[in-house]
Amino acid sequence: MGRLGVLGCQAASLAALLVIWEIAVRTGLADPLFVPTPAAVAGALGSTLREALPRLGDTLLKTLAGYALAVGLGVAGGLAIGSRRLAHAVAMPYVVAAYGVPKILVLPWIALICGLGATTAVLTATLFAVFPILLMVAAGTRDVDPTLVTAAVSMGATRGQVSRKVLLPAVLPSVVAGMRVGVVFAMLGVLLAEMFAGTRGMGYLMQRMAMAFRAPDLFAATAVVSVLSIVVVLSLEHLSRRLSRWR
Amino acid sequence: MKVWVWRLGIAVAALGLWEAVAAPLNPLFYVRPTALPGALVAMWQVPELPPLAEHVWLTLREIGAAYLLAVAAGLWLGFLLGLRRTVGRVYEPLLAALYAVPSVVWYPSLMLFFGLGPASKIAFGVLLGFFPIVVSVLAGIRQVPETLVTVARSMGAGPWTVFHKVMLPAMASTMVGGLRAGLALSVVGVLVGEILGSRAGVGYVINYAYGLMMTREYAVLAVLVAAGVLALDLAGALAEARVKRWAG
Repeated sequence: MGRLGVLGCQAASLAALLVIWEIAVRTGLADPLFVPTPAAVAGALGSTLREALPRLGDTLLKTLAGYALAVGLGVAGGLAIGSRRLAHAVAMPYVVAAYGVPKILVLPWIALICGLGATTAVLTATLFAVFPILLMVAAGTRDVDPTLVTAAVSMGATRGQVSRKVLLPAVLPSVVAGMRVGVVFAMLGVLLAEMFAGTRGMGYLMQRMAMAFRAPDLFAATAVVSVLSIVVVLSLEHLSRRLSRWR
Repeated sequence: MKVWVWRLGIAVAALGLWEAVAAPLNPLFYVRPTALPGALVAMWQVPELPPLAEHVWLTLREIGAAYLLAVAAGLWLGFLLGLRRTVGRVYEPLLAALYAVPSVVWYPSLMLFFGLGPASKIAFGVLLGFFPIVVSVLAGIRQVPETLVTVARSMGAGPWTVFHKVMLPAMASTMVGGLRAGLALSVVGVLVGEILGSRAGVGYVINYAYGLMMTREYAVLAVLVAAGVLALDLAGALAEARVKRWAG
């Protein structure tokens, strides 16, 4: 089956899913109060989009801030931990534990201190995104072939040259991989903070729609956020492919 | 040896720093580490919180149900997509696209559909736990050397023997990693669901303490739950190591 065939099958399956869904609700298999028909969701899309756009911008801005913080901290920390053997051995259990603990446990405390505003959302995003980035960069830094560095140094490369010309290209793929994973986590952190303790943003809007039983609007909002994050991740993947060609 | 000294030193320094920073600050917001044991004892003696044992038990049952369903659904879909090439080529990209969506966007819809009770938490735990399991089964199947399968078949092995003796050992270490990640995510899903909106469970008690500004009690609960999750993950890591040894 060719590429077009695969795309056709995917489109057909999605269409079939929508038709089955529509029929299931129409025939009373699912209650339209909780599960709106796809037609109703499509009808709500316009008004939801108008309501959602400013909030979406708010959420994206907070995501960007938290993400930038997480990338900065994660890359710096990953390089520091990955390039020194002792630091790696000492810090890794803590990093892995911090990665494994459900971050939602800290969210009430952050909300208590930083209030219901943007700071809570940004910090939560950073908290969610920093550890996966740190782990990937640390692993990538550790796996840099030491003979490359030795060779460069023996040929008279300075420390700066080694960092720029040898380490950076070697570590870059893991940085980009970490960034790709991190962006989803950052958005998750913001949405979660908004749902838990927000007065603005997309997460708050969705939570309120659920509480008010505005099912068509809620499904439309979910679709909008999903499509947006898929677009963001796909463009980062595109970027990472171009970077690997540059290498 | 040196590593352990450093690790211990960092832990002590971090706790000491926190203690020093938190001491002059409002204890309503900044709980000192040394206040935690006292708070734990006080919590036990003066039950201001809802009865903990019941809520812990409910959360454990929710996690168990969510994980069982996630494993069943994940293994089924993983083998379905992995063993049939065309089906996999069509649906794997769709699955990957869903993986790129921050999972918490599904929670309000689940809450609307399943209500505030345990069902919405279980559903969210299933949704989160199921993804890494599917992904690991797919990756595992790709690792099975095709020649081995062909050789086993030509020697007269039936489908079950091929699966059990050839495929399973080749996929085991990847698959068990996914099963472990799935468990961690099922736990996260249930906890997130409980904290975002519920009437029972550990997350509910945490939210209750937070809502009443019982910060010390909240801190104790958060630390205990975190310790429990890490212990569970450690058990998962040990099981993973065992399976990896078995698979060679």
